[in-house]
Amino acid sequence: MAYVGILVTLLGFGVAAASVGISSSNTVRLVIVLIGIFVSLFGILGMINPAFQKNAPWRKE
Amino acid sequence: MKRSALITSALLISALAAFGQAPAAAPATAPPPAVAAPITIDEIKGLPTPDNAARIKGDPDGGLTGNVGDIPVGDAKKGLSVGDVVNQIGQNRIAINFVWTLITGFLVMFMQAGFAIVETGLCRAKNANHTMMMNFMVYGVGMLAYWLIGFAIQEGGVGGVATLGGANPLNDEFSIMVFGKAWGLFGKHGIFLTQGGTYDVGVMVMFLFQMVFMDTALTIVTGTAAERWKYAAFMVSSFVMGAFTYPIFANWAWGNGWLANLGGNYGLGHGYADFAGSGVVHAVGGVTALALGIIIGPRLGKYSRSGKANALVGHDIVIVLTGCFILAFGWFGFNPGSTLAASGNGALRISSVAVNTMLAGMAGSFGAMLYMWMRYGKPDASMSGNGLLAGLVAITAPSGFVNSVASVIIGLIAGVLVCLAVEFFDRAAKVDDPVGAISVHGVNGIWGVISVGLFADGKSNYGGSWNGVNGSVTGLFYGDAGQLVAQLIGVATLIGFVFTFSFVVNLVIDAVVGQRVGAKVELEGLDIPEMGALGYPEFELKAQAAGA
Repeated sequence: MAYVGILVTLLGFGVAAASVGISSSNTVRLVIVLIGIFVSLFGILGMINPAFQKNAPWRKE
Repeated sequence: MKRSALITSALLISALAAFGQAPAAAPATAPPPAVAAPITIDEIKGLPTPDNAARIKGDPDGGLTGNVGDIPVGDAKKGLSVGDVVNQIGQNRIAINFVWTLITGFLVMFMQAGFAIVETGLCRAKNANHTMMMNFMVYGVGMLAYWLIGFAIQEGGVGGVATLGGANPLNDEFSIMVFGKAWGLFGKHGIFLTQGGTYDVGVMVMFLFQMVFMDTALTIVTGTAAERWKYAAFMVSSFVMGAFTYPIFANWAWGNGWLANLGGNYGLGHGYADFAGSGVVHAVGGVTALALGIIIGPRLGKYSRSGKANALVGHDIVIVLTGCFILAFGWFGFNPGSTLAASGNGALRISSVAVNTMLAGMAGSFGAMLYMWMRYGKPDASMSGNGLLAGLVAITAPSGFVNSVASVIIGLIAGVLVCLAVEFFDRAAKVDDPVGAISVHGVNGIWGVISVGLFADGKSNYGGSWNGVNGSVTGLFYGDAGQLVAQLIGVATLIGFVFTFSFVVNLVIDAVVGQRVGAKVELEGLDIPEMGALGYPEFELKAQAAGA
């Protein structure tokens, strides 16, 4: 799950960076970049962090 | 008779013509200023210079020191020439900029001391030596990595720095074609500060100033991983960050990379604009801290089995707040120094940058203090300190582009934001961050980057252009939505690329070296097992005696 999260996080960056080539409209670019940011945040906080939390030491104490 | 008639006629015609040309209700105006006669070289040569007899008696009021006799003469036979005078004026301008940039760089270097005692004070006494030592050695490890290759990656293709007399050898950027435009990825000149002709006085100024910025980013990470980071892993991780992680993003933003050119290539405002590094320095440090915080896991005892967060209180609030003051002092180097000039190219705006910096810090400390007071009933000292730092972090990117009202708003939001972020990471995400570095530097670094795209007022003008786009950086509230898009692409790069890069690097280090000390070492305190000596031996003895 953590490795998939890494790919999702990187994908978000790719989407945002690609916005400049997808459209010349700043409004469209803004929407695409925001989607990219949310995808990356989901990758970090929704996938990578929960995957690491499963084995956190405090769960075993 | 004819002659007098002719003169009278001429006078009448002149008067009528003058009346006809005069504005109907022209106010009385002052006579035009007299045009000064051009200064000649003979006049300059003829300026009186104090004779030796006068100078030998001393110059207590400074009236005799510094005069035409101090201008170096290129050809002694010809004597002083116009060229000598003009060259001296040019060199004086660059000298002012050199001295300004170097001194502000020295101030930023001293911020390491502030970080060291803030982090150590927020950690427990049993880890004081270890935490101080990480903050101490990150300076050397980072500098070594940056000198070897980091600086070349970051600045090797910047294409010259006009305010520092050129720094012309920094002119080789590796680029690839994306969507029909060149995207700069990394520089290639400056390895060892000799390769590519970089043994150059202007390059040396750039290196010193950029090096201390890079070290600031590195020291952010030590706070998040404190009290359980294996010292060997810290050394390797910091080296990689100084050599690659920081320089790559810094090149994209400041070194003629693709983020800086979003304006020229795609019409997005002035491209990614980050005046002094909310994103480049603080957010890079903050997202790397987040990556490491997830990998290394929380300290033992931080969370109970039910997942409830426990407070592991730091041992010295006095040095924490003293450290915050040291950092606030150093920030006067961080932001105003980022003009890389005090003379020419709009550099007199350093006064505005300095005032914006102090106002945002003030507003940040108020924001955090009032939030904690209202929510928990007490004006929490450590969070007030973090609020000050959050305000300073947030104003770092916009400090050169906004006015004082915007600075206070940005700082106030940062002060509240840091409290909310600390609560989020502590309780919801369960990423243990002993000093709040992810919230202070990561979250507020990103807020600072976004705030440029909102509040930049279009009044700054650093030599007529920014990132090669004519005019001033202007945010959404002043009419340029494209600037906000450029800023958000920078944020996406920080979260999506820099985080991923840092995460993978630290996963590899975890697999090879191991990031975390053993449970026994952590419970005992890292000072003896990792460093071989206690931070406070007598204090520990007293504590043991009291507990015995």
